[in-house]
Amino acid sequence: MSIEKKLTELMQRVNYAREILGNKDRPELDAFAKEIAEFPDKNIVVADDRAMRALQFLEKRIATMETAIDAQLTAMDKVRIVRHPQRVCLKDILENVYDNYTEIGGKDEHSIDPGMLIARAYITRRKGRKIINQPVMVVGQEKGHGQEFRNGGSIKPWGNSKALKYMKVAAREQIPIHTYVNTPGSYPVEDFPGAAQQIAENIYEMAGLSVPVIAIFSEGGSGGAEAIGMADKRLMLSHGYYSVISPEGAAAIEGRIKGSERAPTELIESCAIAQQITAQDNLRNGYIDAIIQEPPLGARPDHFDFYKQLREQVVRATDEVTLSVRGLRLVRAFAMRHFHKNADIIVRWNLTENARERLVARRFRKYRKLATQAYIDERSLLDKLSATSSDIVSSTTSAVNYGLVKPFRQKVGRIVEEAMDEIHVVTGKLDAMYRSGLKKLGVKSNGDRQKEMELTGLSRTDSGETCTDNACDYVSPQARADREISCPHAEKRGCLDIWARDLFTDFAGVCPNCGYNFPMEYQWYLHNVFDKGSIREFNRDIVAGNPTGFPGFDKRIEQAREKTGLKSSCMTFNASLEGTRLTCTTLIANFRGGSVGAAEGEKFIRALELAQSKHQPFLAYVHGTAGIRIQEGVNGLIQMPRCTMAVRKYIEEGGLYIVLYDTNSYAGPVASFLGCSPYQYAVRSSRLGFAGPGVIKETTGVEIPPDYHNCFKALSRGHIQGVWSRKDIRKNLQQAFQTIGGRNLYYR
Amino acid sequence: MSIHGNTVLIANRGEIAVRIMQACTDLGLDFVALYTEEDRLSGHVDAARKLGGDKAVYRINNYLDAGDILSVADQAGATAIHPGYGFFSENYRFARRVSERDRPMTFIGPSWRVIRDLGDKINTKRLARGLGVPTVPGSDRAIYDEMEAETIAENLFEFQANMGIKRPVVLVKASAGGGGMGIDEVEDMARFRQTYRRIRNYSLRTFNDEGVLIEQRVFNFNHLEVQIVSDRSGKNPVHFGTRNCSVQSPGLQKRIEVAPGFWPQALRYEFDATRVIDDITGYSLSIAREIDYDNVGTWEWIVTPDGKPFLMEVNTRIQVENGVSADIASVRGDGNVNLIREQIRIGLGEPLGYTQKDVSFDGVSIEYRLIAEDTENGFAPWVGRIDELKWTQHDWLSVHTHVPLDRPYQIPTEYDPNLALAIIRGADLEEAKRRGLEFLADLRLSGVDSGGGAMKSNIPFLQDRTENLLEF
Repeated sequence: MSIEKKLTELMQRVNYAREILGNKDRPELDAFAKEIAEFPDKNIVVADDRAMRALQFLEKRIATMETAIDAQLTAMDKVRIVRHPQRVCLKDILENVYDNYTEIGGKDEHSIDPGMLIARAYITRRKGRKIINQPVMVVGQEKGHGQEFRNGGSIKPWGNSKALKYMKVAAREQIPIHTYVNTPGSYPVEDFPGAAQQIAENIYEMAGLSVPVIAIFSEGGSGGAEAIGMADKRLMLSHGYYSVISPEGAAAIEGRIKGSERAPTELIESCAIAQQITAQDNLRNGYIDAIIQEPPLGARPDHFDFYKQLREQVVRATDEVTLSVRGLRLVRAFAMRHFHKNADIIVRWNLTENARERLVARRFRKYRKLATQAYIDERSLLDKLSATSSDIVSSTTSAVNYGLVKPFRQKVGRIVEEAMDEIHVVTGKLDAMYRSGLKKLGVKSNGDRQKEMELTGLSRTDSGETCTDNACDYVSPQARADREISCPHAEKRGCLDIWARDLFTDFAGVCPNCGYNFPMEYQWYLHNVFDKGSIREFNRDIVAGNPTGFPGFDKRIEQAREKTGLKSSCMTFNASLEGTRLTCTTLIANFRGGSVGAAEGEKFIRALELAQSKHQPFLAYVHGTAGIRIQEGVNGLIQMPRCTMAVRKYIEEGGLYIVLYDTNSYAGPVASFLGCSPYQYAVRSSRLGFAGPGVIKETTGVEIPPDYHNCFKALSRGHIQGVWSRKDIRKNLQQAFQTIGGRNLYYR
Repeated sequence: MSIHGNTVLIANRGEIAVRIMQACTDLGLDFVALYTEEDRLSGHVDAARKLGGDKAVYRINNYLDAGDILSVADQAGATAIHPGYGFFSENYRFARRVSERDRPMTFIGPSWRVIRDLGDKINTKRLARGLGVPTVPGSDRAIYDEMEAETIAENLFEFQANMGIKRPVVLVKASAGGGGMGIDEVEDMARFRQTYRRIRNYSLRTFNDEGVLIEQRVFNFNHLEVQIVSDRSGKNPVHFGTRNCSVQSPGLQKRIEVAPGFWPQALRYEFDATRVIDDITGYSLSIAREIDYDNVGTWEWIVTPDGKPFLMEVNTRIQVENGVSADIASVRGDGNVNLIREQIRIGLGEPLGYTQKDVSFDGVSIEYRLIAEDTENGFAPWVGRIDELKWTQHDWLSVHTHVPLDRPYQIPTEYDPNLALAIIRGADLEEAKRRGLEFLADLRLSGVDSGGGAMKSNIPFLQDRTENLLEF
């Protein structure tokens, strides 16, 4: 290698180090750069081999320097490493980790979404003379070292849809899936299939893939990462990050920065640290299973040792997942031990029917256990004990009820019905004979008199009194003021101003002229949607905390608790609607924007489990949610797959899951456990989607129209099934439960 | 309780505004009148200036803009609001707002709960049935079940057949509807289901409610009403007799009203007319007592050719035609009765001060509604400029109008086309009719439209219908 080339390479390494450090002042790098620059002049007279030796010396020095810098890398430095164009990309990995591959679902820019790269690859393993090719489906975001058409690995909804399609192909063909997560986040557009809705579907479907899925995180940006990140084993590159939001985004929210301004660098740095986004943080918190060590300052394309290590760990992870569900349980443990001792064992990756079921079940258990340390359980020991025991009781009773009693009762019922029919034929004949006899005798039945009474007298109503006042027992604080409210559409639709007391009582917050729904408090729904006095809240004492120790956040949670009297943004309760017992959750916008953290996720999951054991339909009323609670970092983000899995489990068991959006619902929850419901509805005038207008403007540069997220737009795009006026919620919900749930309400 | 010191804001226009101003002036009360840009040349503004001065006149944007009206009320220091008829008169939310706002005022009309409860036709029907008051046969609540609907319809056909009705017809209407929308009739059971489903679906689409009412369709009826007056105690309702409002336009708008409702003194009826009148006044009073009715109101009835009355609805306001009832009534022998004055007086809290025994009736009174319309041509409203409106004064005649008599007047198109009310009194039906025709013949009413065409009015129609008044 020529000296000049070597020098350029060294210079590149220096520049790279400077770049990833965010151009912070590093005198040693400057000095070194100067030395490189002066090298040709200094060594102009020396012989080549001496110059070479000097160069090798320089190289060693920079390596030492890199190691030294590597030890001091901050979270934000790692973010810069991951985003650097020199960062290894999926193509590099396909070339170097796998033994052969074919790209599918498009090629380079000729693809529905060039940022999403899919390949059928195989790993060749030798056993003696025998060569075994083990096929895998590789799915991942490709940044292509800054190729513009890759869009920086920011995946459009249809790109995620493509990924899901081929993951399903893999499941059909029974080959493992390796997903390489390397995205700053999904591309926030609502065009069909919609960013949020598609991510939700991806998570939901991946939860049930019956093949081993290994995810390798490099840049794990929020929902975009979860779209392909649901896996049996989650590995992470040592210099990667995995976070609910980019540190810049977090800083913008924390610093309440609007428009095109930038958050101060210090705030960004501190957010990056506080959110616990690095591989080491995530391993400690349990959100990844292992770290793949990268060379100092991160892996770049010619770090061949890194590929070797990556290959080893990916293969090993796949082996482990396969082994952990294969064969008999007793043998399994033994096999695992044996496997750990002898690294050269080749495991075949195909699974039997039973093993596949075990694999999916294991995945559920894995996610169920995550983040359980990240909320505060304020229940007393006694409460916990009684909860556990009642859990056992209710699951046993439900097993008895639905497994034994119900089929028996149905059988008896059928026999009785048939017998009655027979008897009826006989009695019907007798009755007719009796009546015709009377007629012949000229006796007039007193039926006529009764009919007349029915037509002219007062009829009995079933419900006694109907509550025509919506205000009968809940009066919105907005209704207390003697003032007039203008409908926001007054200009266009000619609505007159409305008296606040009328608007927020009789009109239920709906403009009587144009039907615009003003935002109402969540309490209104509790009082007007469900049967009177039927609400029983549970798990109130699972409490939102500050699992990351985010600076100053304890106080803000405390403030939210005081302001709302709630302990988390999620309220879970049992209630009935026209006599139908339901399990419900509601995300309440007043408590930190209805954001979802570990406590909210846990409550959601427990509610689903309860609904399942009680065989009740499940309603998620979203009073409003701003997304995942960013201060909780991955503790919050992980609720996306966790809750979605719980939803899937509930639905697979036959449950009926209905989601109703109100006010504003955005981001993570919509892109997972809410968006995955097949039956989603929205209250009129609500907005829902993936990212708000500001984020869209910032990430895509596109200025969206103001009604972009309007519920009717969501309906047109096929994301939801209907738009309801607030006044009709109760009736429409009942209708939905009746028609979708059918006669047996919920159990298929 | 003294009503002095009250200032009444008149939230209305036209002739009723004028009559309210006059009543206020009679009672020695201050008032505030309103007008809109389109109405600035209306006679009611002149009258307001004359009776109350410039300070009593305010311009607003829209007679239906509650906020606008209430801010005028606050500025003018009004203590009560008289809604007249139309506009806010039967809007219980407006009544509630007036009486429950931070600076409350008196709503001159029944209390808002009464307006609400009687404004709901189904509720009124159930209330009536609960008291044994006859209502139109059929359902008295919204029917949601098809089987139930069919049973009711079947029974209704059978019921009508038993009553000897030749061509029984059943009405199917959307319970949330009104004003002729979502209503259809069925002549035989075979077509019922089809009609029922159509109306149900229409109702679901339009009102988001599947409820349907099923009733007998009553033909050839006379339209009678009972005038009730009751003070704030709600305990002593008094009736001011009946009126017959059977002369209507094809759009069911009243054109001639006569008090009393029947005239058995000279006309022969197939049924005992005196008894029908007694019955409907008695029934009306029983409902008023039940609900603690606390202002003026009108109970509307239909009477079938064989003399069966059915309660239709209750209008919780002063009616246009209140004048004919006052015209034939005397209280303790005093014939100077003015129901609008009574309404304001009791509305502001004064006790009524007399009972049914003190109210007597004498003679016949006819009210003509003079309207610019083409009665030959589907009663299409005529729009243009009125150049002349003139009549000869008589002691048996009073005319209420907001049309200025001293200048031409352009009829505004924004509001209802009533021009004037003429109330004619006679000692008996014969005399009243004769005087009515005399008045109509004498009346001079002319004008031109923008195309230069001559004014069209309903005078020929009124003349034609005077002939058979009160005959069934």
